[in-house]
Order: sequence, then structure tokens, then C-alpha cells
Amino acid sequence: MSSSHLEAVRGPRRWLGLLASLVVLLAVWSVVAAADLVEPHYLTPSPLEVWDAFVRANSHHAVGGGVDRVVRGEENYYLWEHLVVSLRRIGLGLGLGVVVGVPLGLLMGTVRWVGDLAGPYVDFLRSLPPLAYIGFLVAWFGIYDASKVWLLFLAAFPPITLATINGVRGVRQDQLNAARSLGASGLQLQTQVIIPATLPDILSGLRVAVGFAWTTVVAAELVNGLPGIGGLAYLSGTQNKIALSVACILVIGLTAIALDAVIRTIEKLVVPWRGKA
Amino acid sequence: MSKGIDVAGLEHSFRARGGAVPALDRIDLAIEPGELVTLAGPSGCGKTTFLRMIAGFVAPSSGTITVGGTTVRGPGVDRGVVFQQPTLYPWLDVRRNVALGPKLRGVGKAERRATADRYLSLVGLSDAADRRPYELSGGMQQRAQIARVLAGDPEVVLMDEPYGALDALTRERLQNELLTLWRETGKTILFITHSVDEAVFLGSRVLVMSPRPGRIVLDEKVPFSSRSLAPDEIRALPEFAETAARVRAAIAP
Repeated sequence: MSSSHLEAVRGPRRWLGLLASLVVLLAVWSVVAAADLVEPHYLTPSPLEVWDAFVRANSHHAVGGGVDRVVRGEENYYLWEHLVVSLRRIGLGLGLGVVVGVPLGLLMGTVRWVGDLAGPYVDFLRSLPPLAYIGFLVAWFGIYDASKVWLLFLAAFPPITLATINGVRGVRQDQLNAARSLGASGLQLQTQVIIPATLPDILSGLRVAVGFAWTTVVAAELVNGLPGIGGLAYLSGTQNKIALSVACILVIGLTAIALDAVIRTIEKLVVPWRGKA
Repeated sequence: MSKGIDVAGLEHSFRARGGAVPALDRIDLAIEPGELVTLAGPSGCGKTTFLRMIAGFVAPSSGTITVGGTTVRGPGVDRGVVFQQPTLYPWLDVRRNVALGPKLRGVGKAERRATADRYLSLVGLSDAADRRPYELSGGMQQRAQIARVLAGDPEVVLMDEPYGALDALTRERLQNELLTLWRETGKTILFITHSVDEAVFLGSRVLVMSPRPGRIVLDEKVPFSSRSLAPDEIRALPEFAETAARVRAAIAP
């Protein structure tokens, strides 16, 4: 009760603080951009120029420079379409990661020898930077989406599996005993006790995996990543469209924060007992 | 519907560094159907291990346990267990927790809901049916746990210091309620406690276990709880204090 009171006070204050820091940031940024400390000018775009690039990237716009041609967004896709393509890739990779990672984790956590046997490999995969095997995956699955989805799957499932194992091994012995005494079969023990008890850990693992997959997809799009928000961020930089590149960076960062907020909201809805029991 | 418990030549030792540590030493015991047996003893004497063996969670090193003539080989629905720390599931509301036993046995939704509501009202928790376990006080959680065990309709109820973590007032109220429940249901109950007063007040028969390795050093029929006396009258009886003194002497000679 006191914590909700604190939150009620903190909420508006926090938003005010965030707003103030944003205003200061934009002011400093504008001053630095206007001062033209770095030559040529395009290396330090002002907030307005970045906004302008963002709007142009989301609309039909003239190419400019005296040319009469009108193009669609950037590289024929609107910026939001680039973002959606990247999100679709991590959605697929994560989906596969959950479909494979959770049952594997349940199995490894429940059956000791399977856990002992497969554990080192999952650990090894988790400690690899995913970009280490992108070349290998391109050779196997081509330079199109398949290799990227494979990459994200391989990045996403180890944290999910490891968190699931952790959850299964953390189930209180007496919670299992209680269900056995009420007549639970082995399968019922899994579905009625072990899986729900492990849900908070599975969601923690998913949260880690989402962050990991997002950094990975942006980097993976350096190679044939168009459409894709990471690909666009990279290409625009190499073409000296710095304002557009900064706009992409902001979109990538804000998307990461939004993804995390989505998972945390899911956690609140699905496992309201977390930290309470 | 109630069954007795027979324990013959039970011994148990834990494996530890430097060899086996004896925990239980030759226990022979027959508990009649419908008895409320309390088992008191110092902490660490092995009384919880003893209960877990009857529940089927731990296999004894030697000896046999039979419940209603059937040898115990693992957990079973004939033996309900009330744990010291409530093991209610936070992902289920209180009603679904209580309905779990019938659900696992494949009872239909409406029927198991009705069963749960009946036992919740028996322990005075009807108003809490839709809440989650972590929203209940410790005493209410233990009531819910008892309701869940009773809804599983076991022949024997095993209770492992269920009131140990509760404050004195709540504890006394739950003791009174348990007495009423026992008189109404006629279940065989084995109740473990480290409180002498609790053992004497509740038990129709009091057992005392010695420090490790645990042996039964006192086995006495206690008439109070079987009589239809009100709880406060039982506690005020002169024989109550006398029996308590004997039990206390047996625990710490």
C-alpha cells in the first residue's frame, strides 16, 4: 500500500524529469548542430533535420537537387516498413526460440541425464556472439531471410532454455509433493505444477532473448539487410545521409525500449504472483 | 472410510559425510481408524521424517508402513498432507486450489467447484474463494490448505506442524476449528507439533519422540478431545495440566 502511494507521487515527477532532460538534450543538440563545430555540415544534423529525414523516409518525396523525380520512402520502402520487416524477423526467430526452447528446457530440467548431456552445448551456444556464425548460416541458408531467422532463433533459444531449466529446478519440492498426494500423475505434475511454476522464469528468459535478438538483427542486417531498419541505418551512414542514419538509430533504440515494455506488461498479466509467493 | 496406520520395525538413517546418521530407531506403532494422534518431540528428532515416510515422500531404510492394510510405496490420495509452509499454488485462486484434488481425479467442473465451496465454507473461507493465496494471511492459508486436503477426501490426514508459524491467537482458533473438523469428519489424523499444549489439547492420543535417533518414548491415550467438551473447558481441566506435565517430562527428562 505504501509502495503504490510512492508510485503515485513518483509517476508524474518521473515524467516531468524525463521531459526536462529531453528539452535540455534537444537544446544542447541544436546549439552544437548550429555551431557547425564539425565540417562538413551534414555530419552534425540538427534535431529538425533529423525529424525532416524521418518524415521524408515515411512518405513519397522529391529526390531534390533539382531532379524532378518522386520516390517512395527510402530504398522503395517507408521507414516504418523497414522497421516492420526487422520486427517480423525477430518475431519469427523468437517464436521458434520459444517453441523449441521451452520444451527443451522442461525436458532438460526434469530429466537429469538429458540436462547433463545437452547442458554444455546450450551453454556454449549462449556464450557465442551470434554474429560469429552469420557467415556459416549464409553459406547454408542463403543471403535472404532464412539465414537471418536462423540466426535469431539460435540467439534466442539458449537464454529461454536456460531460464526454463532454472525455473524447473527451482520448483519447491513440497509443491510437487502436495500435488502427488492429491493424486497427480507424472503428466499432470508437468502441466498443473511444473509449467505454471516455471512461467515467471520462462518470461524472464524471453525478455533476455528479446533484447539479445534485437541487437543481433540490427547487426545482421549489415549484410543484405534491405528492407530492414538495421540495414537502412547502415546504408544511410555509408551514403552520408547522416540525418536519416540518426533517425534510424533513434527508432531502433525506442523500439528496443518498447519491446521490453511489452514483455513486462505480459509478465504483469500472466504472472501476477511474481515476487509475492 | 477412515483407515488405520501400522508401522512395523521402522528404521531410518541419512547418508552423510563420514557414514550413516541414524534418524529413526525401531518404531512400532498402530494408529486406529478415526484417532487423532499428536506426535510431539524436540526439533530435529525425526518426527517430520517419520511423517514424510507415511506420506510416501521418503522411503525408510528398513521396516514397513501400511495404511488400511496397503503398504506405502509412494504418495497417494489415501493420505492427505498439510505442510508446515502452505503449498498453495499462486497461479490458482483459492477455490481452484481447493478443487485441485477432484480436478486431478477427473471430476467435472461444476461438481468440483461445488466440492471446493463446501470445504471452503467448512473452514470459514467462503469469502476468500476468488482471491489468490498470497493475498491471504498465514492462518487463512493454512485453512485453505486444510480445505484442499479434505476436498481430496483422504482416509488419513498427515499434518506437519501446520500451526508452527502462526501467532498465538490464530493458532488457538485453528486448533479449536481442527477439533470440530475432526469430530465432524471422523478422519484419522496424525498431527506433528513441538508444542506440548497443542499436542495434549488436540490429541486423543499423544506420542512423544526422543531426540535423534527418534524413538517413541511416551504413548498415552488422552480423553479430552474425544469428549464433547468446548475447547476452553478442555484447556481449563486440571487433568489437562497434569497430562501436559507428563508429556513435557517425557520430552526433556
